[in-house]
Amino acid sequence: MSSITAPPDITEPGDNESHITSYPKFIGRSLWLATEGSLAFYAWMTMLTALFLVGANAWANQVAGGMVGTNMTDQVSWGLYIANFTFMVGLAAGGVMMVIPAYLYHDRKMHDVVIIGELLAIAAIVMCLMFVVADLGRPDRFWHMMPVIGKFNWPISMLTWDVIVLNGYLVLNLHICGYLLYMRFLGRKPNPTWYIPFVMLSIVWAISIHTVTAFLYCGLGGRPFWNTALLAPRFLASAFVSGPAFIIVSMVLIKRLTGVGGLDHPIATLTKIIRVTILINLLMVASELFTEFYTGGSHVSAAKYLFFGLHGKTALVPWTWTAIALNISAALLFLWPGLLGFRWRPLLVTACVMAFVGAWIEKGMGLIVPGFIPSTLHEIVEYVPSQLEWKVTVGIWAFGLMVFTIAIKTALPTLKHPAEH
Amino acid sequence: MPRIANLIFAGVVCLIASMLLVAVWQSGTRANTHAAPEETPQVAQLPSEATTTHPVIIRKPSGPPRIELAGMDPQGRTGSVACSTCHAVRKPNLENVSAATLDEFHQGMTFNHGKIACYACHNPDDSDALRLADGKSVAYENVMTLCSQCHSKQAESFAHGAHGGMNGHWDLSRGPQMKNNCIDCHDPHAPSYPKMVVGFKPKDRFNAPLDDHQDHEGAESHDDH
Amino acid sequence: MTTTKNPSRPSLPIVENFTRRAAVKGAFATLGAGAFVAAISPLRQAAKNTTAAEFMQQHYTELSPEQKADVIARLEAETKEKYGADVTIADDRPIPGTKFVYAINLSVCNGNGKCVEACHKENNHDRDTNQSYIRVIEMPKGTMDMEKGSTTYTGTVPKDDKFYLPVQCQQCDEPPCVDVCPVKATWKEEDGIVVVDYNWCIGCRYCEAACPYHARRFNWKKPEVPAEEVNPDQSYLSNRIRPVGVVEKCTYCLHRTRRGKLPACLEACPTGARVFGNILDKDSNIRWILENKRVYILKEELGTKPAFFYYFD
Repeated sequence: MSSITAPPDITEPGDNESHITSYPKFIGRSLWLATEGSLAFYAWMTMLTALFLVGANAWANQVAGGMVGTNMTDQVSWGLYIANFTFMVGLAAGGVMMVIPAYLYHDRKMHDVVIIGELLAIAAIVMCLMFVVADLGRPDRFWHMMPVIGKFNWPISMLTWDVIVLNGYLVLNLHICGYLLYMRFLGRKPNPTWYIPFVMLSIVWAISIHTVTAFLYCGLGGRPFWNTALLAPRFLASAFVSGPAFIIVSMVLIKRLTGVGGLDHPIATLTKIIRVTILINLLMVASELFTEFYTGGSHVSAAKYLFFGLHGKTALVPWTWTAIALNISAALLFLWPGLLGFRWRPLLVTACVMAFVGAWIEKGMGLIVPGFIPSTLHEIVEYVPSQLEWKVTVGIWAFGLMVFTIAIKTALPTLKHPAEH
Repeated sequence: MPRIANLIFAGVVCLIASMLLVAVWQSGTRANTHAAPEETPQVAQLPSEATTTHPVIIRKPSGPPRIELAGMDPQGRTGSVACSTCHAVRKPNLENVSAATLDEFHQGMTFNHGKIACYACHNPDDSDALRLADGKSVAYENVMTLCSQCHSKQAESFAHGAHGGMNGHWDLSRGPQMKNNCIDCHDPHAPSYPKMVVGFKPKDRFNAPLDDHQDHEGAESHDDH
Repeated sequence: MTTTKNPSRPSLPIVENFTRRAAVKGAFATLGAGAFVAAISPLRQAAKNTTAAEFMQQHYTELSPEQKADVIARLEAETKEKYGADVTIADDRPIPGTKFVYAINLSVCNGNGKCVEACHKENNHDRDTNQSYIRVIEMPKGTMDMEKGSTTYTGTVPKDDKFYLPVQCQQCDEPPCVDVCPVKATWKEEDGIVVVDYNWCIGCRYCEAACPYHARRFNWKKPEVPAEEVNPDQSYLSNRIRPVGVVEKCTYCLHRTRRGKLPACLEACPTGARVFGNILDKDSNIRWILENKRVYILKEELGTKPAFFYYFD
């Protein structure tokens, strides 16, 4: 990563230290800062580490014993891992909702804290990649997917596109964040030519990662539930709910825990964004459901199963109604203008959590899983994640939160004293 | 003027000459293709004389049925006799259509093969052979000729592998093919294919015992019909 | 670690007690790393089952004849070691001028499931799960809607108001499963058979999601087959015992059909409902069926162009 984030030829006159020596110092300094903190911070990190270790152990057992430890079947061949993967792509793309106001609309206050969104994208993409690896039957053959040394079925396979866009997005954000923090470390003003083009590219790229991820599913003719042109827009709309919701909660926490100022305006901006995107998302869900149910026929089986159960099988019904309830309640809360008042911060956080969980269910247990039920031979094989799957999932989430926490800690000086750029 | 006429004439001569050349050349190549086998060359296996072809072997009955004797002779030996042992001395009842109307033998036999009479197929003149509709005798070994009289559609399908099943090779240049005879699967007296019991089922949910799960409402009738 | 005191960079806070804290952090980092190594220790077991040669093996289409021979010798030895069975693994290639096509006469099929069982035995499927590449759907007469069918029917067949629809890999001419594979571990060969290189598949199961016919199976665990039940007549791309964690599928028994023999499911069918052959041979049985019967294909609207036809008499 470091080689990417170190721009090689911008040594300014008067600087007597080369990047070869100052960059490692920057990395070391960042690591040091990131591991400094209060007792609560250490407790938080210890807890995350413990959860991550549980997940790592569960995954190692899964690799050693085969994926028989999961509850996936030949009928429901993707489960909790791919559901989380899909959601995480959305979270990563959602960070762009800070970048757009900051860089396209020149919102100064958003600009000062935009790095939170970019760091979230990094953590989310790391989680995405981990979820994909967790889902592989043969992680030892991961190198088969590498271009040149493996066999990369590009451009035919959408999964290869996803590999490219996800890793590309990771590199873009690592570069942008790394460059800004490094310049900060050097005490220099960032050179716009070294990051503005990448920021602009990252806006387009954020849209692309979730579009490509939707194309993974909606291009499959054999799965009617996914085979809809609305899937990519729906993914984006819900991503622009879950991403900002997560960032709002993070910013509320950052403000309380570290005293970083200037976050209220970005919180308000993001709240206004969610106010729109959550309604767009609901509108799309509604038009999808109308099309399904009004048309009827066997095309609607998966939706019927999801919402009402089919032939006495109802495993997903509680999930989906929970998601609907959460989404609608959150939407109503966001519509209320008073939500932005300072004394209603807890309510705002609640609304964000509801929207976040609602989007998580809607995309995972509400979209990936019912795509497989009924199966292509119209068997109804239900799926409920196994304990092992939950452990691995929690472990990956814990790792992602660790990455995000460390990243935010590293960026704290920048957030506390925004420089001119 | 004459120069132009000459040029046109020369042009016409050249054109005709070239057309002739093309025609001759074309016919030459066509003659070449005619010399090649009729079939397109990419077909590897053909039942033509060129390749060594293995046979399609249709199983045949070993011969006329033999009737097991009910008792044993004084030495304790069992044995069987030919149909003609009895039928040679009995007058055939050409009208009989059912085992129930028989007074002495074959009474318990199930007969469920349309409304045809016994002697529609059995030969009244030669009990150890069968009889075609035109009165010609046909050996038991060639029973399929008899069946095909009425069941020509099945016979046609059989001839093309679409009825009756087979074993061995699809590619006769590599090995023979064995096919069933009509009566391997169909009892001539009750030809409808027997019911079977499903013995083997995949257990798709490997990590849990195969629960008593039914896929659809339509599947609720687990009992036998 | 790095020096922190640098007067020219005032924007960064200065940390006291550097060495003591560094020691504490180092200790915690070591502890964490140790715990991590302990947590992933089950991987060592998995690593034991994968030899370096298998790990480094190239894609099937890139193996030289010598490499192929080595790989096959290794696989035969592994089968002996892990399953106690002496097997021969061949590398059956397509017969030039052959395109395999299958047809099933649904008027005749009575759903007895002998084909399912024959497939299970022929292809060395896991014994615990009764795995098979074929599923038979019991369908009510008067509909072609699979929604109304059942794959878990039992008892005496055929039932009077039902017909039976066996489904296996349709060897599509436009196979969605091949398109989606990110590593080209599955492809369509010249004779129409869609094969999987079990030593190249990464187990992402995207092909399972893409297949509209439920033709693909994943090895959720190591297949168990008693030594005396192992079918020793094997092929690299076909019925050799598959490793855990990879996807497999029906290959029209290419270890038989590429040697001119009929597929196991056809031979096992007591009703003669199944017909198999080379569609490029105009005298073949299959050609006659396509020309003379009213055939149909499953899920035609998906444009997969199956090489598998169904017909009623």
